Amino acid sequence: MRRLLALWEKETLALSRDLLGLAVLFLMPAAFIVVMSLALSDAFKGGPTRRTEFAVMAADPKLADRLAGKLSGDGFRSAPAPADEAAARDGVRRGTPSLVLLVPRDFERALAAPLDGKSAPPELTLLADPALPPTQLLAFRQRVLGVTLSLRVSALMRRAGIAASADALDLKRAATLNVETIGGTARPSSVQQNVPAWLIFGMFFVVMPISSLFIVERREGTLARLVSQQVPFTMLLLGKVGPYFVVNLTQAALMLLAGRTLVPWFGGETLALPARWDLLAAVTACTSFAAIGWGLLVAVCSRTLEQATVIGGVGNILAAAVGGVMVPRFVMPEAMQKLSEASPMAWALDGFHAVILRQGGAADIAAPCAKLLALAAALFAAALWVHHRRRVLAPAQ
Amino acid sequence: MGTLNLEGVSFRYPGRGETVLDGVTLVIPAGGIFGLLGPNGAGKTTLISILAGQLRGATGGISAGDEPLEALRRRRPRSLGLVPQEYAFYPMLTCAENLRFFGAVQDLGGARLGERVAAAARFARIESVLARRAGRLSGGLKRRLNLAIGVLTEPEILLLDEPTVGVDPQSRAFLLESIRSLAGAERTIVYTSHYMEEVEAICDRVAIIDRGRVLVSGALSDVVRDGSGLEEIFMRLTHRSLRD
Repeated sequence: MRRLLALWEKETLALSRDLLGLAVLFLMPAAFIVVMSLALSDAFKGGPTRRTEFAVMAADPKLADRLAGKLSGDGFRSAPAPADEAAARDGVRRGTPSLVLLVPRDFERALAAPLDGKSAPPELTLLADPALPPTQLLAFRQRVLGVTLSLRVSALMRRAGIAASADALDLKRAATLNVETIGGTARPSSVQQNVPAWLIFGMFFVVMPISSLFIVERREGTLARLVSQQVPFTMLLLGKVGPYFVVNLTQAALMLLAGRTLVPWFGGETLALPARWDLLAAVTACTSFAAIGWGLLVAVCSRTLEQATVIGGVGNILAAAVGGVMVPRFVMPEAMQKLSEASPMAWALDGFHAVILRQGGAADIAAPCAKLLALAAALFAAALWVHHRRRVLAPAQ
Repeated sequence: MGTLNLEGVSFRYPGRGETVLDGVTLVIPAGGIFGLLGPNGAGKTTLISILAGQLRGATGGISAGDEPLEALRRRRPRSLGLVPQEYAFYPMLTCAENLRFFGAVQDLGGARLGERVAAAARFARIESVLARRAGRLSGGLKRRLNLAIGVLTEPEILLLDEPTVGVDPQSRAFLLESIRSLAGAERTIVYTSHYMEEVEAICDRVAIIDRGRVLVSGALSDVVRDGSGLEEIFMRLTHRSLRD
């Protein structure tokens, strides 16, 4: 035990004097958490969040005003109608306004046409700015169709002699729809996605200090000296596990703190903390073991610092891109979502989401934790095997 | 600890065709300093690495007294000390932290560790720089720290692989004097160097190896019996052509 403690102390001292390594481990994920939580805050909100201007062009100015009034709201704001269609097209091309609805001259007459399948429905044209997010376009399209349907039904009812106002047929008045998010105290937000995501990313970056010190040890002959002193290679690897486990736990505490303090300080939402801290600790521990195992394998396989930087750095970035750290998995196409299941960062993210977002129990984190632990064991065994295969240093174990 | 016996030791690195050591047989008596000489690539460092337990897969036999060296290393890990060519310590740690670390991983602890750190520092005359980061020392001080780590556990077998490379004449003189003071009946010292005058100054016995084979071995006085200097004999045996 004395030897293991000595190895842990050495590793801790070495890391404490590596300012670049500490910056990578603590400042980088904190910076990502703040920047990405703020940058993606709108993307995680339910409805249209950016204000989009639209205009309605109709031969009858009263009809245009009526339609504009009905279409306004939920982030869509009415703008003055362009002088003519050419001006409308030119304006939309420049993004001012983003949308122009062209209403044909016989629109009101067409509204009253019977719904028998033989009559042509009223025809509308929507000019759209290509830079407009597809979700915004879709939302406005649904809005136009909803308003048109209510106008048409009210016209038909009037024709049938039933008194009805188009306002009474507003879709929002059709029913009261309550949306309840199951399992969480609040709906998933940008900060709840980004804090665990970039925490995991930061945790896996222990690969850099682990491998760089290991390569220095090998290059400077320190490792050979330790082996000649009958220090088992397994113990040398275990000597790196303890300190970096503590580093990962510290990262977790600081990144959660960043979500609670830094992000709101910059204007973002505050991270909602989980109810089960024990489960959060379990997920953090399993993620840490997998990250350290990855670091050990890269360290043993790399012959130079450059190799370690490329393998460790690029490997982490790829795993993060695929695993839903950089791009949330719910916006990925189905094939990419399937592929993301292969990324350990996705397993870790599942575990963190189960605790932080869904307020889940032990059963909810069992699968991701089991996968992470199995990976950690496999990586540790692979590091030992690679070392054994190279036969450069005699195993004293 | 008795005589170190190497009996037909051969070695080749996995995946490489050439044999680095080819049936090396040497008798290295306890006490005194044994000089191991050879041009670059002769196999000196490989032989030291095998003795230190860093390389495995060598054929032949190596024994220390009556028991295989491997068994001795396992039974008494502290019985063997190594001072490699490289500065095999942590540049980001202070000299004291390095000494304490290498002592602790050899299972020294408590007051005994403190005593040995102080003694090794005194021996290598690095007491005044114990609080300095090892990476910021001069070349001579680094060599002295390297030597201090090697003698921390008072090993019975001390392997010194070119311990004076890259130091000024003052530091070299100090290192040689220190190494000479380590020799004794209870200690076997194997010393490799390219500097013939060093070997002539401190070694009792020498062996010259080249291309993995022993060319000559014996008491220094016997090897240089014909009046030639050690360097002249070395060049005669290993030829003058460049090796790398």
